[in-house]
Amino acid sequence: MATVERGPAIYAGSRIPQPVPTILKADPAIEDVLTVNFGPNHPSTHGVLRLIVDLHGEHVVGLSAVIGYLHTGFEKTMEQKTWWKGVTYPARIDYVSFQYNELVYVLAVEKLLQLEVPRKATWTRMALGELARIHSHLVYLGTAALELGAISMFWYCFRERDLVLDLFELVAGTRMHTRYFQVGGLAEDIPVGFYDEARAFCRRMPQALDEYEGILNSNAIWLERTRGVGVLSAADAIALGQTGPNLRASGVDWDLRRREPYLAYDEVDFDVAVRFGGDVFDRYKVRVDEMRESTRIVAQCLDRLEEMQGEPWIADDRKVVLPPREELHTSMESLIHHFKIVTEGFRVPAGEVYVGIESARGESGCYLVSDGGPRPWRAKFRAPSFAALHATAACCADAAVADLIAIVGSLDAVMGDVDR
Amino acid sequence: MGYESVPGLVETREAFGETTLVVDPARIAEACLHLRDEEAFNLLVDITATDYLGWAEAGVAGYYATAAGRDLNDPAAQGYARVPEPKPKRFTLSYHLLRVADDSARVRVQVWLDDGEAVETVVPVWPTADWHEREAWDMMGIPFTGHPNLTRILMEDDWEGHPLRKDYPIGGEPVRFSEAE
Amino acid sequence: MALDETVDQTRVSQRPLAKAGLQSERLLWPAKKGVFEEEVESMEDALGLTTLEKAVAWAQTRSMWPATFGLACCAIEMMSIVSSRYDIARFGMERFSSSPRQADLMIVSGRVAHKMAAPLRQVYDQMLEPKWVIAMGACASSGGMFNNYTILQGVDKIVPVDIHVPGCPPRPEALMEGIVRLHEKVLAGVPPAYQIRGVAS
Repeated sequence: MATVERGPAIYAGSRIPQPVPTILKADPAIEDVLTVNFGPNHPSTHGVLRLIVDLHGEHVVGLSAVIGYLHTGFEKTMEQKTWWKGVTYPARIDYVSFQYNELVYVLAVEKLLQLEVPRKATWTRMALGELARIHSHLVYLGTAALELGAISMFWYCFRERDLVLDLFELVAGTRMHTRYFQVGGLAEDIPVGFYDEARAFCRRMPQALDEYEGILNSNAIWLERTRGVGVLSAADAIALGQTGPNLRASGVDWDLRRREPYLAYDEVDFDVAVRFGGDVFDRYKVRVDEMRESTRIVAQCLDRLEEMQGEPWIADDRKVVLPPREELHTSMESLIHHFKIVTEGFRVPAGEVYVGIESARGESGCYLVSDGGPRPWRAKFRAPSFAALHATAACCADAAVADLIAIVGSLDAVMGDVDR
Repeated sequence: MGYESVPGLVETREAFGETTLVVDPARIAEACLHLRDEEAFNLLVDITATDYLGWAEAGVAGYYATAAGRDLNDPAAQGYARVPEPKPKRFTLSYHLLRVADDSARVRVQVWLDDGEAVETVVPVWPTADWHEREAWDMMGIPFTGHPNLTRILMEDDWEGHPLRKDYPIGGEPVRFSEAE
Repeated sequence: MALDETVDQTRVSQRPLAKAGLQSERLLWPAKKGVFEEEVESMEDALGLTTLEKAVAWAQTRSMWPATFGLACCAIEMMSIVSSRYDIARFGMERFSSSPRQADLMIVSGRVAHKMAAPLRQVYDQMLEPKWVIAMGACASSGGMFNNYTILQGVDKIVPVDIHVPGCPPRPEALMEGIVRLHEKVLAGVPPAYQIRGVAS
C-alpha cells in the first residue's frame, strides 16, 4: 500500500502553503488582485462556510476559510446533560451521517462502562451505520453534481435517499436523527417488515449506482471539471490530518473498518475503495465505490440479523439500561432503578477514553472524560470535516474559481461537524 | 511498545487499552517530533483541551454502574462519598496520534498546564495542528507560542472569554413556563 | 424509475397511502375547520379584499421563490422537498434563489449562531418587499434543544417570522404544511409579518 516513509520532511514538494498551512497567501508581486467573499450564505458551500478568496482574473491566488457560523456549543451543552440524555446531541453534529455520531458516542460510553452489547445490537448498528454512509454519500453526490451543473443528479440521488430514510423511519420512527442507538444496545427491537424493505433497497441500490455512473463517468464535462482538479498527494493528505474517502482517494489504503475493526466488521466481506490520483474525480469515484460496498455489507448484516430474531436488543445491565416497562408494575427494584436512571442518570466510572470509527467523512472520534458522575466532564468530538477543511488551501493552490466549487464539494465537509 | 525514549516523558498510563504518555510541556514539540520521526506517528488525529477546574470538589457517591456489578467490599459502593483523585494542574492538552501504516498504532500525548501557561505549537510537526490549536485557544484560552495565526476560529473575533472553561457560564435564556405567570 | 420486477407490488410501501386507509386530517374531515382556518376566514371577512388584491395575492402564492438559507439539519429536509417525492415544484417554488434580491420567502432552516445572526439579517434586509419568513424547525423557532451562549433563542429575535414549523427536523410534509398555511394566510390578505410586528421584530 502507498504509505509515507518514516521521517521525511513534510514540506519537500508539498503543496501545503507556508507559513500558515490553511491560508493561501497571495503573492504581493501580483497586481490586480480582487478579493471576493464567498459568504456564509452561498448555495455551493455546503452550509455556512465563508471563503475569502483573492482572485487574479479567474485564478485563485489567495484563500482563507472562516468558520464558526454554525458553532452550537455541543460540547459544553453535553456537559450539562446526563449520559443517556446526551445521545440526542451527537446526531446533530454531522447531520448528514447522523447515525455515526450517535454510534461513536455510544461506543465511547460503553468502553468506559466496559459494557457488553448483545450481538443483535452490534449487527443492527452496523447495518444502520452503513445505510447512513449510503445516505451521506448520496447527499454528497447529489449536491456536488448539482453545483457542477449536472442538475438532474440531484433528483436521482435524492430519490434513493428517500428510500434510505424510509428504512430509518421504519426502524426508529423518524427519518433523521433517529436516536436509535443507546448505551447498551438499541432503543427498540427491529420491527416486522424491515427485512423485506431493506432487501428491496439492497436490490435497488446497485441499479441506481449504475445509473449514476452511466450519467457521470464518461461525461466529457464532468471529466473535464473533475480530473486533475484539486490534487492532494498522499503525504500532504496525511500531514493535513485527512481520513476517510479524502485519504483513500489520495492513494493511502486506510480504513478503520479494516485496520482497527470495531462492531463486527471483521466478520463481513467487503473491499476498501482506494484510488491514486487524489483529485476531485477520484474522491467522487471512491464514494461511489463505497456505496456499492456498503450495500454489500448491509445485505450480509440482514442475513445475520434474520437468524437473530427474538434475541435481546439491549444489554441486561439494569444499572445502566432502563428495565422493561412490564416489570415496573411488579418489581420494586426496577421501579427504583428506573427512577434513578431517568432523573439522576447512571454513573460511569472515572477515566478518559477515545473511540474512533470510520464515518462517511473519515475518522469520527469521541473523547470522553468521566469523573465518575452522571454527566460527562468533557465530551469532545473529533470532526472529520474539520480536518477536511484544513486541506482547502492546499488543494486550491492553482485552481480557477470554478474549480474552487468542485474542490470544496469534493472534500465533503458538513458545517455542523466543522463548527460543532 | 516502548516509549521510554520520548523526550520529556514524565509518566506512561495504560487504561481501556489505550496508552497515554504524559510529557513535560516545555518539551512537547521535541516529543512530538520524536514520535513523528522515530515512531512514525504521522497523523495527528485530534488536539483536545480539558479544564479540570472543580474536579474532586463534588463527592461522587452511590452506585457505580459497571458490568461486573457492585463490589460489596468497596466503600463507595456502600453509599459513602468518594472523591476522584485530584489532578496536578488545571488544564490538560491531549494530542491523539495515529500511525497510518501496516503496523498501525495509536497513542495519546498529554501535557498539564496552568491557567495562562503557554505551550509550544506543533504546527511544524503536523500542519493539521493549525486549526486544532486555534480551537483550543478559542475555547479554552491555552496560548500556543510560535503559532503562525493564533486567532479565534469558532467564536467571533471580538468575543471575550473562553466558552468551554468551567467557570464560563452555559449562557442561554431562562425558559419561561406559562403556568409560572 | 426502472421498476425492479422482483419487487413485490402489493407491499404497502408501493401503494399510495390513501389506498392503505391513511388520510390526512384535511381529507378525513373536509367540513371540519381547525382553529387556524377559522381565524384566517375571520380575517378575510374583516379585511374585505378587493378583486385586484385577491388577484395579486393569488399570484404571490403561486410562485413564491425561497431564498437558499439552509443552515443545518433542517436544510437537508428542505432539500428533500425539492426532490421528486415531495416535489415543491407543484407550488412553483422549486427555484431556490441564491440572490436575496429575487427571493420572496426566507426559510430559516437550522440553528442560528450569534456569528450567523448578522449575515442572516443582512440577507433579510436585501430581500424586496413583500417578503415572508418561515422559521423551520425547533432551533429556528425557539433555539431548539440548545439553550446556550451561542445559539439565538429563536430567529424571531432578529427577523419577523410569519410561520413557525415545529420539528427536529420537521418532515418534508410538515414543511409543506407550513408553506401551504403561509399561502392561505397570503390569500386571506394577512399582511407579511414585518407589517404587523415591525421590521426590527
